[in-house]
Amino acid sequence: MWRARRLIGSCALLMAIALAVAACGGGGGGGTSGGGSIKIGVPGPLSGDYASAGTDIVNGAKLAAQDVNAKGGALGKKIEIVTADDACDAQTAAQAAQKLLSSGVVAVAGGYCSAASLPELTAFHRRGLPFVMDASTNPKLTEMGFKEAFRDIGRDDEQGPFAAKFVAGFLKAKKVAVINDNTTYSKGLAVSTVDALKKAGVNVVFDQAITPGQQDYTPTLTKVISSNPDVVYYTGYFTEAGLLVKQARQLGYRNTFMGGDATNDPTLLKTGGPAANDMVITTAPLAQFLSGTESFVSAYEKQFGHGPGPYSVYEYDAVQVVAKAIQAAGSTDSAKLIDSLRGTRHSGLTGDISFDAKGDRAGVTYITITVRNEKFEAYKKLDDSGKWVDATAA
Amino acid sequence: MIAASPFVSYLINGLTIGSFLALVALGYTMVYGIIRLINFAHGDLFMVGAFLGWTVLNVVASRLPIALSVLMALLVAMALTGALGTVISRMVYQPLLRAPRLSILIAALAVSLGLQNGVLLLYGPVPKTYPHVLPASGLSLAGVRVSYPQLGMFLLSLLLMGALYLFVHRTAVGTAMRALAMDQDAARLMGINVERHIMLAFFLGSLLAAAAGVMEGLYYTQISFFMGFLIGLRAFTAAVLGGIGNIPGAMVAGFLIGLLQSFSAGYLSAQWTDVFVFVVLILVLVVKPTGLFGERVVERM
Repeated sequence: MWRARRLIGSCALLMAIALAVAACGGGGGGGTSGGGSIKIGVPGPLSGDYASAGTDIVNGAKLAAQDVNAKGGALGKKIEIVTADDACDAQTAAQAAQKLLSSGVVAVAGGYCSAASLPELTAFHRRGLPFVMDASTNPKLTEMGFKEAFRDIGRDDEQGPFAAKFVAGFLKAKKVAVINDNTTYSKGLAVSTVDALKKAGVNVVFDQAITPGQQDYTPTLTKVISSNPDVVYYTGYFTEAGLLVKQARQLGYRNTFMGGDATNDPTLLKTGGPAANDMVITTAPLAQFLSGTESFVSAYEKQFGHGPGPYSVYEYDAVQVVAKAIQAAGSTDSAKLIDSLRGTRHSGLTGDISFDAKGDRAGVTYITITVRNEKFEAYKKLDDSGKWVDATAA
Repeated sequence: MIAASPFVSYLINGLTIGSFLALVALGYTMVYGIIRLINFAHGDLFMVGAFLGWTVLNVVASRLPIALSVLMALLVAMALTGALGTVISRMVYQPLLRAPRLSILIAALAVSLGLQNGVLLLYGPVPKTYPHVLPASGLSLAGVRVSYPQLGMFLLSLLLMGALYLFVHRTAVGTAMRALAMDQDAARLMGINVERHIMLAFFLGSLLAAAAGVMEGLYYTQISFFMGFLIGLRAFTAAVLGGIGNIPGAMVAGFLIGLLQSFSAGYLSAQWTDVFVFVVLILVLVVKPTGLFGERVVERM
């Protein structure tokens, strides 16, 4: 009897702790303030390996909401950010989307992993809510014919050819190894890049996946390096990229190591250490390399204690675009909001934003950045005549 | 440098990966041998050890010489994680020993989730990086470069495993534990304090897992609150492959799985690693259901 009570007690205690922690982890800024606020949902990975990226995006959203509210909000009401943790996983993402829907959001701006944004988009599409994606680059998101889909970031079927142009045209590489991590985003980018590389006549000597979470990638890297590539291009995320570049250098690989835009994160520099130097990353321009973002960068540093990551500025613009669309539509009705978003002309921190019929951002450019002295630096970009020039803040 | 034949590279990589797997597998196998529990939280104790080592290193690495700070990190992490494992066994598993088997399994899952989320809350979601304190130099073995840290990890794991084996087979306390694994009630009749020895088994298993965790952090430098999952799964596979409850079996199988991982990633593809490893597991179990070293006889450890 006494033992049963202790059993129930300790199990209940553990369950309570686990539940409380899970609720806290997923809750974020889910406020239940009374009427008088307009809720914008921000899904993202707030736990798991990519949590630093998700937190960065949420921070960008919060800054944007603060700035909009300081100017009077939208339709006379304050913008309220409601976050949901999708852990970069499709099942958790479906639940996160449900959570946002039941908290009464009128629009959604955010997302990071394409694998999570896909189910989220489907859920928002069913309810007709617009979803402005700030970081998910898989082309499928705007190819499903959902009028709710918008994004202010580029697509991997543009990033792939860009990377191939850089590899073939600037680096003049003859043999390239492409490594992906089997996720939706990474596979998409790898396929797009390999296609473009083959069309450019480059020999793709390796095109396989690794399993994230494994820590030790030396067997795969040994195999890659033994085919002597001029360039290794990793299309996965920053956590594995740091480990890969470090282990590749340890194994004696001296040529270029490149990463896709999801390797663009300060954590890469910490994990890779000196091994990350001279790494080249294809990405949409970071906040620090865009002109006119100084006040954003300093406001971010002041409020959050560290510099902005790569996507917070795109999220900032996404939230601003949504708020502006609400104001222009004169209501939070979803159909009106979508029409208003479709006709957006916004001059954001990341440049001029407008959406095409599919919801993709018109006029996206990619640049390459590199790592020097364990810091990110702008590297090369394509000018209008198709030549590679230094990508300075322009 | 990659040798002309990568075979030796794969061999060395496999043995390195295997050292970690073997250390963690020992904890699974010991606990199962003693109380027939698959401790799902064991991989997370490995993770806790890594985080504790990180915390210690952050404090002392700048003030003490490297060797001393690494040693301190190891000892502190091992001691604290051992204590944690003991506390968990006493408070959560012991009361459930006479309950239906499912209850204790679910409790183990709950502990695993609790540990993961506890570390998440305490340390935050961003992966942490160990200070780069290990030297990169090494020596040449059959044309392949083996770094001193790699050699050190390998030898340290062998040392720890050897120590455990001697403890279990040559000391009175270890013999008591083996008696316990054979028949709990008979052991109790012989005057063995069953509860104490169960806690000791957990202490030793957690100690080894923490050592593996700190070594993992030192060698790969990146740790996250998630890292216990995959290695826990593979180490558990190793424990089963070697014959669950069998200590030498867990050691050998740990290295075997490390080698399988390395060779399959090298000669096939990294995508097929897990498939390959589990196919081997299934084949072995079909031919020998008690695992490579497992015996039908009651004497397991």
